Amino acid sequence: MLGNVFLKSLRDQRRPFTWWAIGLIAVTLLTVLFYPSFQDSTDLNEVLGDDNSIMRAFVGDVEDLTSPEGFLNSQLYFLLVPVLLIVFAVSAGSGAIAGEEEKGTLDLLFSHPVRRSVVVLHKLAAVVVSILGLAFLIWAAVAVGALMVGMDVSLVRAGEATLSGALLGALFGAFGLAVGCATGRRGTTIGVSGAAAVLGYLVNALRPVADALEPARFLSPFYYYIGADPLVNGLDPVHAAVMVAGIAVLSLAAVAAFERRDVAV
Amino acid sequence: MSLVIQTRGLTKDYGAHRAVSGVELEIREGEVFGYLGPNGAGKTTTIRILMDFIRATSGSAEVFGLDSRARSQDIRRRTAYLPGDVALYDRMTGRDLLTYFANLSGGVDPRHVDRLSERLRCDLDQPIRSLSRGNRQKIGLVQAFMHRSELIIMDEPSSGLDPLMQQEFYALVEEVKADGRTVFISSHIMPEVERVCDRVGIIRKGELVAVEDVDSLKRRAFHRLEVHFSAPVPPEAFANLPNVRDVTVQDSQVTCTAVGKPDALIKAAARFEVVRLVSHEPNLEDVFLSYYGDGEPDAR
Ligand SMILES: Nc1ncnc2c1ncn2[C@@H]1O[C@H](COP(=O)(O)OP(=O)(O)O)[C@@H](O)[C@H]1O
Ligand SMILES: [Mg+2]
Repeated sequence: MLGNVFLKSLRDQRRPFTWWAIGLIAVTLLTVLFYPSFQDSTDLNEVLGDDNSIMRAFVGDVEDLTSPEGFLNSQLYFLLVPVLLIVFAVSAGSGAIAGEEEKGTLDLLFSHPVRRSVVVLHKLAAVVVSILGLAFLIWAAVAVGALMVGMDVSLVRAGEATLSGALLGALFGAFGLAVGCATGRRGTTIGVSGAAAVLGYLVNALRPVADALEPARFLSPFYYYIGADPLVNGLDPVHAAVMVAGIAVLSLAAVAAFERRDVAV
Repeated sequence: MSLVIQTRGLTKDYGAHRAVSGVELEIREGEVFGYLGPNGAGKTTTIRILMDFIRATSGSAEVFGLDSRARSQDIRRRTAYLPGDVALYDRMTGRDLLTYFANLSGGVDPRHVDRLSERLRCDLDQPIRSLSRGNRQKIGLVQAFMHRSELIIMDEPSSGLDPLMQQEFYALVEEVKADGRTVFISSHIMPEVERVCDRVGIIRKGELVAVEDVDSLKRRAFHRLEVHFSAPVPPEAFANLPNVRDVTVQDSQVTCTAVGKPDALIKAAARFEVVRLVSHEPNLEDVFLSYYGDGEPDAR
């Protein structure tokens, strides 16, 4: 695990990854196990109100909260899963360069024959792999929970929705990495990335309430994550491609910003 | 003899503050070069430009004849480096850290690593965060020596080392020199530089004020000396001694400044019963003021 920067970065994430894995599995499983008590209370749908209700900003554009898809979307995929994956991704992405820079270990690292671009890309790869690992565990917890309570949901679709969430997380991880590469400050990076995530969420989620946001929706990463409802319709290839392209552009920006500047002591 | 490091008009500004100003260094293959200057003189800044961690505002640097910016990767393949105030990966053990950096540079002989860490008495099995500053520094030193690089650049390498380990460090430097490899050491401690270096560049407020052979520096080195006697001594006995100045005689105590050889002073003192002899190393600012003082030599 010490052969290169990628493996070493994965190794560094052992501890946080383990805790996140435990937490995510627990939250996901507990949520799914609640389904039986939701299933029969169709009057719950009344809280959704009309199509422009503010409730939709928190549960998404669902028709029926008590169907398996409506339940999973509103309780897990609309808010909880993406937010948790993003928090992990931003923390790992901002720590990758800016965190190490603040600890002062970059000098020693770069005294060895490694290119700045290679270090940035290896570290991003480690973040992405960790996110994919967490997403897999979320999916596994959904699958186990669904089996336990006899929820009739396609595990393939659940996998696609979770993968969409992983792409969203990776996008924000790359964003954190890029801001960290540009600023070298971890605190700043987390603040900026957090603000971007909240903004992205609101622009997408408030659309049912505020018509004016409709055109801006296409700027929100959350739209590409869940706008095409991957749990019902499967992963939209164009939306997935947009997120992957975003990751690619941000990683190039990260490299460009980092290669240009002085490394702080 | 070929040049391993050459800088031309190297300058680095931080905002309005000029940290390094027009530095022209030439370090020859196989020598141990000391880069001497007080804190804040610009030593670390110069070194970090050579390593391409930071970029010069103007001027250029070549290492092994390669441009320090365009060919940094090739330079770093042949150069080992010890940062000042070395920060290591806290959660790793020393052994893991050394393995990692060995892998990044394409592998080193593990027996060599073992030998080095034995000589420096490193504890490689504790997480680095639990080690004292001196013990971290030693792991940093093993890292710098283990690659057997053609050039070793060390920023204040002996800081935090106890005297015994300092001796071991000097021995390591001498072995590298015997190998024909090149060492560049920054320091703010004159005696240390005198001890290991062949030549010294002196930097002050960002400017390289002198480059000298250590031998000629030693010839002009001065010490504050205090001699305590068992009984009062006559002032005449210490008047007009060669290589001695600023003499004050107070009852049974003589204080003076010895420049170069203190032989005459010792012989004069030997006529009386000496109970204590104290030598103070001059602080670097005094040395600079005396040798290179702002424009004109100090009159003392
Ligand atoms: N990142 C920085 N930003 C602003 N000033 C700096 C920075 N790094 C160094 N300096 C200033 O540059 C000067 C030289 O610093 P440095 O090279 O670290 O000196 P030395 O290593 O000789 O002690 C000092 O005055 C220091 O305050
Ligand atoms: Mg320094």
